[in-house]
Amino acid sequence: MAQHPPLNDEDRANLVAYLDGELDEAEARALEAKLNLDPNARTEAEALRQAWDLLDYLPRPEPSPSFTNRTLDRIATLRPSATNQVQRRRRRWLLRLAWVAAVVLAAVAGYAGASLFPGPAGAARSPETDEALVRDLRVIENLRQYQQAEDIRFLRELEHADLFGDTNAGY
Amino acid sequence: VAAIGETSGQLALRDPDIRLMLRVRDDVPGAFEELVELYQHRLVAIMHHLLGSAEEGEDLAQEVFLRIYRARKRYRPRAKFSTWLFTIANNLALNALRTRQRKPVVPLEVRDSGPLGPRPAEQLVRDRANQPAQRIQQQELAGLIRQALEGLNERQRMAVVLNKFEDMNYNEIAEVMGLTVKAVKSLLSRARTNLRVALQDYIYMDGEPAAADEA
Repeated sequence: MAQHPPLNDEDRANLVAYLDGELDEAEARALEAKLNLDPNARTEAEALRQAWDLLDYLPRPEPSPSFTNRTLDRIATLRPSATNQVQRRRRRWLLRLAWVAAVVLAAVAGYAGASLFPGPAGAARSPETDEALVRDLRVIENLRQYQQAEDIRFLRELEHADLFGDTNAGY
Repeated sequence: VAAIGETSGQLALRDPDIRLMLRVRDDVPGAFEELVELYQHRLVAIMHHLLGSAEEGEDLAQEVFLRIYRARKRYRPRAKFSTWLFTIANNLALNALRTRQRKPVVPLEVRDSGPLGPRPAEQLVRDRANQPAQRIQQQELAGLIRQALEGLNERQRMAVVLNKFEDMNYNEIAEVMGLTVKAVKSLLSRARTNLRVALQDYIYMDGEPAAADEA
């Protein structure tokens, strides 16, 4: 009888995969051919199969009758209660309301501020102001020159034509 | 369902558990209770097999449900719902097993998992065993098999439990455990080889292989 080398790790992995129905058709056929020829491989396959079947002797554990209730009781402590949900919803609404109130308040304060303290650009001029501006227009236009003079009398003296002699001297 | 992407929508159409979880996300009354009823048996069984203790198994299964509830608002379907659930279970169980390794506890014997003694299903199994000796043999055998399972490292144990008791294929196990399919294949191969070694006294070879050896 031909001598067959002992199974290596890969052979054994293929044998187990074969027993588990995990080999594809070609691989399974090749392994079956090997099993037909190699009694050691057949013995190993049978031993592996029997050892696997022995696990069926283990009783199937079942949850105790109280398991469901105990589990659901623990879950109940995590569940948000109806009261909490109402409170959370109310808090959310209050927060929204506070935001709206803040925006409205800011708008009202802005409007009031603008009305009470008008800025120079936007300020409306009264008729008296306009009148004063018209009356002093010449002064305003020549303000820079007037600022050079020491006083008003000096300026008036400048108006006299004979101050610097005859103006019609004809130079 | 309309609010989520097309792929998620397609997943939801195929997987009724995703639709249930979306109802949980939207706080539909009774949806979470339905989810617990639907998955508690599978989850408790897996955790019990992994940890070898009914009490710890239930505590951890409960923790999985709590995590799901806390994460419900962030839930986006990207895979089968059960894959998501067992991924959470896998992470929690592996953490628990690692913590236990750091703080060893006395392993529990095989015992009735109900606080009030054997449950009807367990009692039925016991009644079927006519002989007291046979009963003891069955209990001993279950104890030895559990010991063999507990002898595997935590990842091998998880892969075995998902494959054996949840009927998950390699792809699904890879997704739950965050591994490649090749890694799962290797993991299960080593796990099953270890189980075969641990249980070899209860494996009976008769017929052809023995005859071939003799030849």
